[in-house]
Amino acid sequence: EINLMDELTLKGITQFYAFVEEKQKVHCLNTLFSKLQINQSIIFCNSVTRVELLAKKITELGYSCFYIHAKMRQEDRSRVFHDFRTGACRHLVSSDLFTRGIDIQSVNVVINFDFPKNAETYLHRIGRSGRFGHLGLAINLITYDDRFNLYRIERELGTEIKPIPPVIDKSLYCA
Amino acid sequence: PAYTDGPDDAVADKVYFIINNLSSTNLDQKARELKGLLSERFYSWLANYVVQRRVSMEANFHNLYLQFIDTLNSAGLNAALLVNTYENLRVLLRSEKIRSSTSERTLLKNLGSWLGLLTIAKNKPLLSKDINLKQLILEAYDHGRLIAVVPFVCKVLDACKVSKIFRPPNPWIVAILALLTELHNLTDLKMNLKFEVVALTKSLGLDVAELKPSALLIDRQVDKSDSSDWTTRDPAPILEPLRPPPGILKPDLSTPLGTQPA
Repeated sequence: EINLMDELTLKGITQFYAFVEEKQKVHCLNTLFSKLQINQSIIFCNSVTRVELLAKKITELGYSCFYIHAKMRQEDRSRVFHDFRTGACRHLVSSDLFTRGIDIQSVNVVINFDFPKNAETYLHRIGRSGRFGHLGLAINLITYDDRFNLYRIERELGTEIKPIPPVIDKSLYCA
Repeated sequence: PAYTDGPDDAVADKVYFIINNLSSTNLDQKARELKGLLSERFYSWLANYVVQRRVSMEANFHNLYLQFIDTLNSAGLNAALLVNTYENLRVLLRSEKIRSSTSERTLLKNLGSWLGLLTIAKNKPLLSKDINLKQLILEAYDHGRLIAVVPFVCKVLDACKVSKIFRPPNPWIVAILALLTELHNLTDLKMNLKFEVVALTKSLGLDVAELKPSALLIDRQVDKSDSSDWTTRDPAPILEPLRPPPGILKPDLSTPLGTQPA
């Protein structure tokens, strides 16, 4: 469901960052997919081109994903989103398509493959409507160029994004 | 138990990767990958992982996991899954936490639907040495655990709707439904528990009002004071005509609008 409420919260979401080089990102994603326990995940990129590229790349790696972005026809977007919601696929690669947070209960992992430029985008990608209180995990892939954005967004949202530990406690995001 | 014997971490990671990426479109490919990766002697480890970490938390993918297991087509794995499901259920059903914690009850419900899919939906019986649903309800009635057990039993029995065998007039299911009906007819049973029974019967194409209740609970004494199974009985409300509280004066309608009352 697209959350139309103005209240988005980071409560219940555990946030981590992984410091990587651009060319390590896909490898890092691959590692996350073998270490985490994912019900469904959404992976965000910063541009339409990168969404399509990443979707192609990770399909080659042997996992199935859908992608969705703003340049697609509305009916295609609706179909992809609907199929994702019904569980036809585990992963959705997405651009900043939705103006509000996406609240799908079964999505327990959100990955910022590209780190967003501003706090509002970050909140809309990661945030949930607070009253349901689902647990979730947010992983941010941070490059050298993102380091100031990371600091700024942390400050603006009054939140803490910690470096990713070797092992993530499952009780933080598997309800 | 045998399932503590797992593969080494690198293989385990690959198994997690496969399951993280499982979807209805790649079942065959992923099943092949898994078979190439994991020897059958680790299937009880796999069963434990699937039941404890996946099935109990990801109710949305029960059918997917079931298809995956069918694709793997291993009698040993099927048996291990059932054993593990019962084992985890026994732990949960014995736990004190199911009375207080909604997340524990969610696990129990998820494993309930899963058990139904593994057995009833495939026309296989639940053996009373593994689990006795009627006995479970009676004990829950005595010990104030209906809040967890009724939703659980209803989830298990929901699989009856796809079973050829386990639907009325099958005496096994009729007897359990009669007990659930008797429970439902108790006036002070919590509303949400009544609703579970209504939802189940509706799902099976039955009407709880037309089912014949059992008479198993009548003679059982139960302390309803410290339990979340029952609605607290308020003293009957005293019906009195509504009167304005003292201190509020009735508007004097005889005064024309716009003039100050005397």
